Amino acid sequence: MDIDDLLAEVAVDSTPPETRDLQELTRCWVAERVAPEILPWPSDLMDRVLERIRRQIELVEDQTGNMDPKTNFKLIIIQTELERFKFLVRSFLRARMKKIDAHPIHILAQHTASTSTFAPLLSPSELQYMTSHQSLLSNHYSSSFLSQFPASLQRLDDTTGGISMVDKPDEDKAVFVRAMKDVGDIFVEGTDRRFEMKRGDVWVVRWSAVRRWSVGTGTGDVELI
Amino acid sequence: MYIRVCLTNNPRKVQNAKRTLALPHLPPYASELTRSIIREVRDLDKDVSSILAPYSGSFNPSASPETACALLVNHLCMRRNKRCLLAYHKVRSDKLEEYCWEGVDVLEAQGGQGNGEGGGMGSGNGKDESSLSPEEEEYVRQYSDLLAAYKGRWTDIDLTGTLEPPRDLFIDVRVMKDAGEIQTEYGSIMLTKNSQFYVRQGDVERLITQGYLQRLS
Repeated sequence: MDIDDLLAEVAVDSTPPETRDLQELTRCWVAERVAPEILPWPSDLMDRVLERIRRQIELVEDQTGNMDPKTNFKLIIIQTELERFKFLVRSFLRARMKKIDAHPIHILAQHTASTSTFAPLLSPSELQYMTSHQSLLSNHYSSSFLSQFPASLQRLDDTTGGISMVDKPDEDKAVFVRAMKDVGDIFVEGTDRRFEMKRGDVWVVRWSAVRRWSVGTGTGDVELI
Repeated sequence: MYIRVCLTNNPRKVQNAKRTLALPHLPPYASELTRSIIREVRDLDKDVSSILAPYSGSFNPSASPETACALLVNHLCMRRNKRCLLAYHKVRSDKLEEYCWEGVDVLEAQGGQGNGEGGGMGSGNGKDESSLSPEEEEYVRQYSDLLAAYKGRWTDIDLTGTLEPPRDLFIDVRVMKDAGEIQTEYGSIMLTKNSQFYVRQGDVERLITQGYLQRLS
């Protein structure tokens, strides 16, 4: 830890929690949109953000009758901010749903593995959505054609024949990252590339190589951009 | 010993799926093709059992490589057929989900009255016949229920709202079709055709996606 880290910590502490939440939400949103695999659900952050959105909506509803131009102007600003927050949350949720829809079986396995840890992969409602969607889909397949197949071919998560039917996201996808702290040596698996990532550096690197330090999945020393 | 030539239908299925990806609307469900592929798989399965029957469960692949080869080819064909069918159905159901998200009522648009609605979505199949299979119709119904339930958890956010970042709180819109009266926080507005309003974006977003209003930039 050097002087920069100390300064950074002081700076974090002096910003109000609301601003920090917004920063964090934005960071999560960017990370979720960029990372090839789904990141753990930030439940505390989302609870705070949703609660605040709800309060702001109430405030707006309370004050709309007010014709005073000053409050009216303030309301417009609040509503604009509200719309932006809603957009962030919406886009964040949709990005997650897109991944859930794309790799349900894989994500379910990952989620089950993660429930014992502190950060489950999915929120309860996401899990519910995913399981019901998956059962809808398999019902649809089986009523359309699978039920008429020989029994040995009816599974959706077959791994025989050398090809797994369970689709996985491409974990070696390249992502742009910025280091928020000194990370140290990073070794890219499968190649003999090794490099050092310093605070403030921006790299294009395989997701699998930096996952351990990333926002959401790891220590949070590296943010996706 | 013979190996059934079985790969005639599948390229068509895949082509069909690929084509569906690019089309703005859903082409009719290829039920005949699906049925013939299912038949093929069942025939192949029968072949496999009949090949294996004389060995009564103790088949040794290294003892008769030619039989093993036939079995392998049969198995591969069945798997390939299954993959193709899965892909075909997945592409179509993805498309149907997309419609659900956009708020286009596919089932109604299929009924014939809905042509030209929703900016051309779901239209373009003016035939009386539905281009969805009965299973697909059921799927759409269930998926929209699921979506509605999931959306209900996020009432403040409006999940199906626009994914464009918001720029202005208020926007200019022109009414394309009579939509009746709507309630906003600033009182009610009567939406009659060709009139123009300056309204809050959040209030009219739905109507824009449904094609009642047009956004003026």
